[in-house]
Amino acid sequence: MHERRSPSRLAGKEAAETPAEVRFVRVPSIAERKLGSDYVAPMRLDPRILEQMQTTIRDLETQYADALKSQVAMLQVLVEPACKGDADARRRLYALAHDMRGLAGTFGHPVIGQFADSLCRYIEQSQSEDWGDGTVVTFHVDAIRDALENPRTDPTVTMETLNALERLIGATRRQRSAG
Amino acid sequence: MSAEPPGPSTGADEDFFRRLKVLVVEDSAEMQRLLVALLETMGVTRIVVARDGEKGLSAFAAERPDIIVTDGAMMPMNGYEMTRAIRACASGDGANPDVPILMISGHAGREEVAHARDQGVTDYLAKPLSAEMLYEAIVAAVSKPIHFVEKPGYRGPSPKRSLAARRS
Repeated sequence: MHERRSPSRLAGKEAAETPAEVRFVRVPSIAERKLGSDYVAPMRLDPRILEQMQTTIRDLETQYADALKSQVAMLQVLVEPACKGDADARRRLYALAHDMRGLAGTFGHPVIGQFADSLCRYIEQSQSEDWGDGTVVTFHVDAIRDALENPRTDPTVTMETLNALERLIGATRRQRSAG
Repeated sequence: MSAEPPGPSTGADEDFFRRLKVLVVEDSAEMQRLLVALLETMGVTRIVVARDGEKGLSAFAAERPDIIVTDGAMMPMNGYEMTRAIRACASGDGANPDVPILMISGHAGREEVAHARDQGVTDYLAKPLSAEMLYEAIVAAVSKPIHFVEKPGYRGPSPKRSLAARRS
């Protein structure tokens, strides 16, 4: 059951600006729906459940490490055709990088996640001709492979590599604008 | 220093999670596996998985989930379009268009989060996902009542509210 409220009963800017056709509806929580309106949900998390969830992530790490190895190998296969204009290779390369951006950090490979994020952002803002040179994409793929092979790399080196990638992207874009 | 006694500290405890039906909409097999494993660890036993927004929309109508966890970028229908379509549904057929929708995305810039909010997303979680982030977001989504705005062309959480991406 939803409770309708007039704007005047709601605090804040939104209520003051509310035109007549706008209504506010209090939507009961899922807990209220399932357990009744008297239900008051304490908002503390159960540390035991949290610990079990963290264990679950650790348990999946080995499985992910194998998948990541295959994905990085596939990136290296795709980079050349992608840079030569193969649309399917570009799509697959981006999909792999997108996957790594989302998952590598969760499974203890934050550096790979950062490089993959940089590569995804570059591709998202790229025009077709940006692929032609291939330097930026290849540099990212190499950085991802190095991070996988050398997981204990000094964080300073990682930061320097990320900064170098940023500078390279900037230079490539400036070159395109000028040309 | 006395240790805090363990015990049932949250209303959204395992027993409650057992009653929940969660729809996971995600195109990455690895991410699907992670989300399902984490939800199962929380005690959720009823999990439905769809691999894009279109299939998610069908699963929403057929399965009537209590909560949806969705990716943002998917083909052919993404999580933003799916959210918009769910909020626009009539509730007469039993599926709940007010269902909490948690979006998990690698795109966590201000514009993407604002776009998600404007489509009716309840909460936004930036990848990489952590156990704590997911747990907190689910407990908040199922425990807190929310004020929806109803106006011509939109029904959902207020698009004027501030929504920042949760980060690990």
